[in-house]
Parts: sequence; structure tokens; C-alpha cells
Amino acid sequence: MVKEQAQQAAQSPAERPIYHLKDVVKTRASEGYSFRLRVPSLRITPGEKIALIGESGCGKSTLLDMLAFVLQPSSCDTFEFEAEGRSHDIAKAWKRRRQNRLAALRRRHLGYVMQTGGLLPYLSVRDNINLSRRILGMKEDGTVEALAKELGLHRHLHKLPGELSTGERQRVAIGRALAHRPAIVIADEPTASVDPFAAEKIMALFMQMVEERNITVIVASHAWRHIKQLGLRRLAHHTRRSKDGRMAETVVSG
Amino acid sequence: MLRQWRQVLGLATRDYFHEWQISVCFVLALAAVLGPMMVLFGLKFGIVGSMIDELREDPAKREIRPVGSDRYDRAWIDALAKRDDVAFVVPRVRSIAATLEVSSDRAPRILSLEVIPSAEGDPLLPPGTGIPRGLREVVLSASAARKLQVSVGDGIDGSLVRRFQGRKERVHLPLTVVGVAPARAFPRDALFASVALNEALEDFRDGHAVPALEWSGTPPGKRYYTGFRLYARSIYDVAGLEEGFERSGIEVRTQAADIETVQRMDRTLSAIYWAIALIGLAGFSLSLGASLWANVDRKRRDLSVLRLVGFRTGDIVWFPLVQSLYTAVLGWALAVAIYRAAAWGINLMLAPQLEAAQQVCRLLPQHYLVALGLTLGASVLAALLAGLRAARVEPSEGLREV
Repeated sequence: MVKEQAQQAAQSPAERPIYHLKDVVKTRASEGYSFRLRVPSLRITPGEKIALIGESGCGKSTLLDMLAFVLQPSSCDTFEFEAEGRSHDIAKAWKRRRQNRLAALRRRHLGYVMQTGGLLPYLSVRDNINLSRRILGMKEDGTVEALAKELGLHRHLHKLPGELSTGERQRVAIGRALAHRPAIVIADEPTASVDPFAAEKIMALFMQMVEERNITVIVASHAWRHIKQLGLRRLAHHTRRSKDGRMAETVVSG
Repeated sequence: MLRQWRQVLGLATRDYFHEWQISVCFVLALAAVLGPMMVLFGLKFGIVGSMIDELREDPAKREIRPVGSDRYDRAWIDALAKRDDVAFVVPRVRSIAATLEVSSDRAPRILSLEVIPSAEGDPLLPPGTGIPRGLREVVLSASAARKLQVSVGDGIDGSLVRRFQGRKERVHLPLTVVGVAPARAFPRDALFASVALNEALEDFRDGHAVPALEWSGTPPGKRYYTGFRLYARSIYDVAGLEEGFERSGIEVRTQAADIETVQRMDRTLSAIYWAIALIGLAGFSLSLGASLWANVDRKRRDLSVLRLVGFRTGDIVWFPLVQSLYTAVLGWALAVAIYRAAAWGINLMLAPQLEAAQQVCRLLPQHYLVALGLTLGASVLAALLAGLRAARVEPSEGLREV
């Protein structure tokens, strides 16, 4: 119902940040080990391309999940999300258990590329890409075919994910994340499971596609080398461990 | 809202048939428990049912016979006839008087037949058989009709003898056969006649006059009967009637013991069946619940992906629910097929020992529906628990499981 507006919002630059986080903390503890992710301050403006670089286990996925509204922060001062000229108080939505509202925001404004595809094994490539559109009730307008062509998947539209290579599956996942024209795409190590040569190609294609569509993108990766030439803003973060190794804290800001 | 719900239904359906091997296993597991349970119940229902039917259909089981002879007047018999638990009652005359020598033109033999009082509603004369009325109509038992070589509409000659005022006197009585009682109802040679004819035979033998038949003699006094033919309304009334007669000092013979045996067997078999059924149902619910639970666990990643894409939590609950409904309906259908095959085999195997149309293994249409209802109920319950569990997991959990 609001897809046209979503499109406009994604294409017109705005001064206000799309994400505004202040003192957001996520604590996790298990078997005597505890891990803490702290974000003293984070602002991401529309159209920005953000890179989150670090080894696995440093809290990249934790931050991405919070930005995708699928993980509840342990505590936060401010967590605001701006879309279509409206500000959404994510902190309040979590506190009030407004899961369906968060789901609606995800569905309308977010695309997510997971490390290992996250495709539904029982849907064809076409239906997997189309899933994010169908849930919004968007009409068939050739977008899926155009995306498939761009991603080099047009020959595979009728196949099931099980019949594809890892790289092809990641490209399907990128297609699904872009198909409903979201304002933001979050990608968590989108090429980590692909061989380095293909990884570079997929990453370059992905960045090119989000740039063409003027989509805000947040990418996590463990290898800066791959993406530094793609012109992303790197978020500063550092991890400290306690002497006995039982506590780790990562601080991210930017 | 509705769109998402419909889409979850569609996705759950595609997933169910995409993973058909696993779905087949679920369906088989369900049918493996439900099928034998239906066969068990079919056996219990068929065996007890046919025993009860047999009791119900056999009028002899409802008969209450006084032992020895007594003196009953007409008013007492009429009062009995008005009772709700009495289906049929007629008075009997002295058994020594209730005989008739019968001959026909076609058979050389003269038969001495037992005369049985009858009337409208006699359980030994099935609907469609003629009812003997007045002093000229009789119904013959099948064996008597065969020996006399007569059938409905034929005339026969009855005769009886008395010793009156020192000399032997024989009278003849032309009779019309208005019906033949089936051998099943009465196996011996006999003649069913109205109460009036019975009374006439007794009066003649006692030396009384029967003006209607132009038989001379002394005028009759107040009439007493020595016994009665009585049938209870149903087999369940027999025990109560028996108790009533015994209380008023009339010793009677009934088949109440047989009826009691069947009823006790029904109760015992039902108890055994329900014990097995409850254990089976508990096992079935547990196995279904466990498999659905495991399935939700297995699909946690897929369900997390659906939530990541933006499906609402409430819609996700439908995913396992829809799949369990498929399993329930398909499993039930397979169980019905198993039952039908087993019942067919059992009935075929035991057919030589059974009367026509009798079945050892039998279910009514509503039993199938009850089985379906129970299955759906158990499935929905198990799936709801599993689904709620799926919904309670934080969406980010399960996303990165490989």
C-alpha cells in the first residue's frame, strides 16, 4: 500500500539519519563466558554504504540483527529508525513487544542477505526472489526476471536452491533482498561461503546493484581486502577481553 | 493480513509436499497407530453388536414362561398386557386340552398338533404372516405345514374327542390356513390359533357347550387360565419383569442369564477396548506431538527466515499447524484404508461361521468421523504447542544454524 512512497524515500536524499542509535547494549552470557556489544553512538544516513569488518565472533552479526529488528537489545538509550519521513522508535517497540510492527518494518524497508543464503528449499529460484514482493502484495512486473538477468540467474529461475552452487544461491539471496525495493539492505558476510574469486565478483555486483538503486547498505565481512576498493565507510570497532578470557566487549561507533 | 496468512498456508503446503519422504513417514506413523485401533474397535463393535442383534432379533430371548400351572383370570392377563415393558401376552389353557388332531386331503397322516394361543403382535409370527382370528383360522408351524403338505389358503380338518356322559364323542372342525410361521420362529409341529379357539377346545373337552360351533354340553363356569405366553418389550426389560413375577410368587423361566452374559461381555470388552484405546491414543498423541516438535526444531531456520522476511509471528504458528492437518487427514485416510482391508479379510475369513449379513468387524459412518475428529484434535493440539514454541523463539535465533 505504501510501496510508491518507499521508493521515493529510498531515492530522495534526506538529512535525517536512517538509523540513530545511542548507548545500545547487547549482553550475552553462556557457560561462564559473557559477551557484550556496546554501541555508544551510531548514525547511518540514507544512501550510505557501511562496512563492518572483523573476525567472526566479534559481534558483527549481533549488531546486524539488532539493525534488522530481529534481536532485542539488552538496554538502549535511543534506537530510532527513519523511513518514509516517519521516525520509528524501535526501543519502544521492543519494550512493548510490538513484534508485528517490527515485522512490518522489516517486510517494507529491509532486505537481508545471510551468510548461507537462507533460501527456502521448497521454493524455486523465482519464488524465492519473489517472496519479499509477494508478502507485500506487489504485482508481477518483470522485476524478478530483470533481477535474475542482472544476477546471471535467468537460466535457473525454475530450479530449486538444492540444484544451485553456493555462489548462485548467494546471488538468489541478493535478488530476494533487492526485489521489493527496500530502503536498506543488510548483508552478513554475503560471500564468506563462496570461493575468493567468485566472492569478489559477487560482492562487486552486489555493490553495483545497490548503488544503482540508491539503497543504504550495511555489509559485514571478515576481509577488508575484498571491499576496500568498493568505497564503503568502515565502522570503527575494537574488542577487549578480560585477562581470564571469560569476558569480551566490543565497542562499535560511527 | 489475510494475504500473509494465505501465503503461509501456501508455503507450508509446498514445504509439506516438497519433503514428501518425511511427510510419508509422518502419515505412516499415524496410520500405524490409528489403523489397528480402528480394527480393534471394529471387532469389539461387530462382535458385541451381532450378539446383541441376535438377542434382539430372537423373540425367544424376550419370552417369559411361567413354570408349572396356576389359576389366572382374564382381568389379571389384561392388566399385564397394559404394562409398558410387556410387548405381547395371551393366556394359555390347560396344555392337555390344547391339542388338535389335524388332517389334510393331501397327506395320509393325521397329526396331533400342539395348539398355541396367538393374537395380533405375536413375536413368533413375523410381519407379513397371517394372524389367526376367530374360530376358523389357524397358522401352522413350518414343519406341520410341510407334513400336511398345505400352504396358505388351504383348508384342513381338525378333530377332537371327548368322553361325555359315558360315551366317546368326536367333533370335526374345518379350518383355513391363513399363515405359515417360519421354522426359525418355531421349530416343532404346532398350530397357532386364537384365544377363543383355545377356549373352545378346552370347553369341549371339559364337557361344556360351545354354542358358536354348535357343540353341546353343560354351561361353562368362570374361566381360569393355567398359564400365559408373555414377551417383554425388549431384552433389557426381561430381568425386571422376572423380578416382579418372582416377587408375586410366580416362578418364571427366562433367558435373562444369557442376556446378562452378553451385557457383561459388552462391558468387559468395552473396558478392555477403552484401556487399549486410551493407551493407543496417548501413544499416538505423544508420537505425533514429538514428531511435530522435532519438525519445528528441524525447520527453525526456515521459520526464522520467514520471520526475517517479515512474516508475523501469529502467521508462523500456522506453518506447523497446516502441516499437521495434512498429516492428520492423510493418516486418517490411510488408517481407514488399513481398517477396510483388515475388516474385509476378517469378515471373509469368518464368513463360513456367520449368518448372512453378519459381520465380525464393523464400524458405523459416525465411528470414522469420531476417529477423524480425535486425530484432528490431537494434531491441532500438538501443532499448536509446537507452533507456539516456534513463535516464542527470538527471530534472530536459528538464523545462523547450518
